[in-house]
Amino acid sequence: MNLTTTIGMQSEIYTPIIPKSVFTQMTKALKDCKIGLATAAGVHMKVQTPFGKVGDWTFREIPFDVDPNELMVTHGGYDNGDVNKDVNCMFPYQRLNELKAEGFIKDVAPIHLTFMGGGGLQDKFKEYTGPEVAKIFKSENVDAVILTAG
Amino acid sequence: MQRAIEEAGIPTIIIAALPPVVKQTGSPRAAAPRVPMGANAGEPHNIKMQTAIVRDTLKLLETIQTPGTIVPLPYEYLAKV
Repeated sequence: MNLTTTIGMQSEIYTPIIPKSVFTQMTKALKDCKIGLATAAGVHMKVQTPFGKVGDWTFREIPFDVDPNELMVTHGGYDNGDVNKDVNCMFPYQRLNELKAEGFIKDVAPIHLTFMGGGGLQDKFKEYTGPEVAKIFKSENVDAVILTAG
Repeated sequence: MQRAIEEAGIPTIIIAALPPVVKQTGSPRAAAPRVPMGANAGEPHNIKMQTAIVRDTLKLLETIQTPGTIVPLPYEYLAKV
């Protein structure tokens, strides 16, 4: 018995299950916006507790005007060579400060948020880290957030 | 993370070194310059490239209207490992 009815036809094609979209409209022009920065690159201040290299679901608060020499990276999941040379590669907070000085954006969030993206309990990120980070940005009246290190 | 912030009512955009990953996770907006995982915002100390990537990413916040849009950015940085 020949099961092929049409040569080349596939009866099953795998497609990813993409979660339902979430989308919040921008309400103001960029030049009137306060922008926050968040990254999963494991950036933190030298005085703060380092991230665990794998599975850490905590976050750190970084003041927008911190000296780059006070920042360091703890992340086991990517080559830290470039970010150790210049933290702005993954956490371009100084570029945001410059864009504010230029008037391209209105303001920069006083506190940026950083966390560690290498593995970790999805539930913890969904139920704790995510909402906490969102709460802090909301309390700063941030109008939009850029993320890196997805 | 992006989802949580967007759900709280703050529009977000991610600078994605790996567009297939943000596509699968259903990211609302993504900008994708041709950069490695270790330098999402551009080459170390290349202020011009980093500023251009950040500036273009911010502009996309205004122009992307459909959730799930990933826009490639014309900047390339190859890390020397």
